[in-house]
Amino acid sequence: MMLAVDEPAATANSAGAGGRSSRLGGRKQSLFLQIVERFGLVIFMAAMVTFFALNGSSGSIFTSSQNLSQILGDQAIVGVIALAMLIPLTAGYFDLSPAATAGLSNVVVAALMSKHGWSPLPAMVVGAFVGALTGVVVGYLVARLKLNPFIVTFGVYVALEGATEWYTQGNIISNNIPASVGNWGLADWFGVPRPFWLLIVVAVIVWFVISQTPFGRYLAGIGSNESAARLVGIRTDRTIWLATVASGVVSGVAGCLLTARTGGADASVGPSYLFPALAALFLGATTIRPGRYNVWGTVIGVYFVAAAVSGLILAGVNSSVQEVVNGVVLIIAVAVSTFSGRWREQREERDQRRRAESVPDSSDKSELSL
Amino acid sequence: MAAVDDTPAGTPVIGGRGDALGVRNLSKTFPGTRALSSVSLEVRRGEIHGLVGGNGSGKSTLIKVLTGIHAGDPGGEVELAGQSMSADRVTPEIARASGVRVVHQDLGVFLDLSVAENLSLGSQYETQFGARIRWGTVRKRAASLIKQFDIDAAPGDPVRSLRQSSRTLVAIARACQDVQGSDDGVLILDEPTASLPAHEVSLLLGKLRGYASWGRAILYVSHRLDEVLELTDRATVLRDGRVAGTFITQSLNESKLVELIVGPRLAEVLPTPPSVMSGEPRLTVRRLSVGPVRDLSMTVARGEIVGIAGLLGSGRSSILRGIFGVDRPSAGTVMLDGEDARFKSVTDAMRAGVAYVPENRTEDAAFFDEPVYVNIGAASTSSYYKRFRIRYRIMRHRGAELIEQFGIKASGPDALMSTLSGGNQQKVVLARWVSRQPRLLLLDEPSQGVDVGARAEIWRIVKEVTATGTSVVVVSSDFEELARVVDRAVVLRRGIVAAELTGTDLTADALTRLAYFDYEDDDDACR
Repeated sequence: MMLAVDEPAATANSAGAGGRSSRLGGRKQSLFLQIVERFGLVIFMAAMVTFFALNGSSGSIFTSSQNLSQILGDQAIVGVIALAMLIPLTAGYFDLSPAATAGLSNVVVAALMSKHGWSPLPAMVVGAFVGALTGVVVGYLVARLKLNPFIVTFGVYVALEGATEWYTQGNIISNNIPASVGNWGLADWFGVPRPFWLLIVVAVIVWFVISQTPFGRYLAGIGSNESAARLVGIRTDRTIWLATVASGVVSGVAGCLLTARTGGADASVGPSYLFPALAALFLGATTIRPGRYNVWGTVIGVYFVAAAVSGLILAGVNSSVQEVVNGVVLIIAVAVSTFSGRWREQREERDQRRRAESVPDSSDKSELSL
Repeated sequence: MAAVDDTPAGTPVIGGRGDALGVRNLSKTFPGTRALSSVSLEVRRGEIHGLVGGNGSGKSTLIKVLTGIHAGDPGGEVELAGQSMSADRVTPEIARASGVRVVHQDLGVFLDLSVAENLSLGSQYETQFGARIRWGTVRKRAASLIKQFDIDAAPGDPVRSLRQSSRTLVAIARACQDVQGSDDGVLILDEPTASLPAHEVSLLLGKLRGYASWGRAILYVSHRLDEVLELTDRATVLRDGRVAGTFITQSLNESKLVELIVGPRLAEVLPTPPSVMSGEPRLTVRRLSVGPVRDLSMTVARGEIVGIAGLLGSGRSSILRGIFGVDRPSAGTVMLDGEDARFKSVTDAMRAGVAYVPENRTEDAAFFDEPVYVNIGAASTSSYYKRFRIRYRIMRHRGAELIEQFGIKASGPDALMSTLSGGNQQKVVLARWVSRQPRLLLLDEPSQGVDVGARAEIWRIVKEVTATGTSVVVVSSDFEELARVVDRAVVLRRGIVAAELTGTDLTADALTRLAYFDYEDDDDACR
């Protein structure tokens, strides 16, 4: 898997060259635990899906290609929004605006086509651009004015949500939009909905930028210690600003995708993805690279939540269960990452103690050879 | 000199029934290291017992085991208040009940509350019906404690208004109030003078002697060897988690202590300065004003080490931050090799070949949740970006080389920064900058909070760097060290250059006298 290669924390946690020589006795066991830790969510998700699939009458509906296709397609939008949130979050900056930005982009793209007769492609370029603009504003508030990101971006979220509701007056925009737009988002490539492929493309790009470019390293540096980052020459303000703009563009893309999926715009849909996206982010931090928000964990998190919701609804639970699942998943995700963090520390301690015992005095090699 | 491991060279010490604290065969194993190995030590009633050792020697761990924060390894034994127990059984509750009290460098006093309230928060407020606080009683009790502990304050004074040493006394009184009148237990003072102005140190030491005369056992933990020599009755030296020896303090002197702390191999701690450099100036500062500093002029030659000596608040750090583009100078010129060097940003300064090791490693330099090799490469990230990817393998390889070269003690390049000791973290930060081969290296308190051994290595590295032509400006409040290490020193007093010393004039005494000049009268008054 490509994500296991060449990332600092991944090499640090896996039994890399450093640990190999000295960690003999506990290695097999600790490798097993590491696998459980890194892929626990995936394993749990597989178990949950199996459970729903075997669950009497609703099982066959749950596993029907129609249902799976629906989940993969719908949730791709949540996934893209979560990835938009992930970019500034890597630098430790909470950004709650992307869901509302996606809603804004959705409304703008649909309105351009519906009321101004634009063709789809230019409309969507504008949608991405609108996202970038929101990112510029958020960046100004957060990086330049240094306002509390959590509160300010929540303000942006509420304001944008309100503005789009106001503009649409609660109506759905769908007139005069070419059917090809909605059909694009509903069609498959290789039997998998197109939005899912788009999510994967966005995920690969975000992963690459975050883990393989200096910009991504700068974000991680700021997330680790902003003051130290500044003193190693990282232009922190500019980097954060760039991050919010990138986040805005990705949010704008999510809005375009939403338009292509629904063939129109409903101002209430985009903003409603905030909590599923948040839940996915936190859930994602418990897997793949435990303890850090990460791209692939987030993607898995999105589908974990979606599978849980779908399974419960098909089993006859009222559809309001969705909110409950989002909330509970948030709480559990935070609890799991907290506990597994402590657990990891204890395990490391045990591990190292064993090492310390087998190598009684490694402390004295202070000779300096320059 | 003969090895001193576990064999006290001074007068042998006999443990007895009357000891306030006894530790026998105590070990503590941590991830990666054994912090304590078979430590034994006794503190008698009424004794001030020094505990010294480099960073990572196990002092803090020992304190944490004694206070029950860490469980010792099974097999060790701790004797408190006449009761012996297994070291893995000591809990914070037991330690407290046995009279163990700790006052840390960070006192934990509430600056905005009154002395009386601070003292009450250490025990309990006297209340009457309906949990209403009986302020009268609270104040009366505070007054009596103030008298007992001889604190220069009134019960109603906010602690913020007290001088530093009095705040320390308030913290001590708060910790000890409920064990007054008993000579069980031990008062542990962890670097109590670290943030104290020099003239208040003797004041505090005098009070401590008084407390000991009541029969209270005091374990005095400090980096400052002169204080340990002046104050304590006996001293135990820890090195690499082992007891290097317990000695009657009178049998010790500073150089012997250093030798014990460092171990026989590194006895020659600091390199001797070479003859004064000459050559074209690398750095020329003219009439620079930045922060509290006014009209600073100085030059630094190629390969020269220039020290800036000054007390806290003298503006010493501002100079370095001003040159590095962090703080903006309000006036003056800076030239680097004849070119204008008034940098607008850190990036500009770095591009011009300037490097800066900040004073506060925790806040301004360390990326704790990143591996060591990422920390080392942090100032060179873009140089590892080749063919559209960060080449982590090359970064890691380079990190491993520098770990070797700088003698950094880490389990490998992948070890998280947070798992390293302070001295090794400092070497990581130094490696980060030295590996960029800077023209000018700015060091802000590079050996602060670093043990004697790591200090020697840091200075040796700096020396090596100057051999390649790099110039160094170092700020330090350790004048002893400064005098031995630098070629030339500038003394700052209240933002103004008070003197410049070279050659035989450059002594710790001279630096101290010049830097403290204003306070001398004050100091005498206190005695």
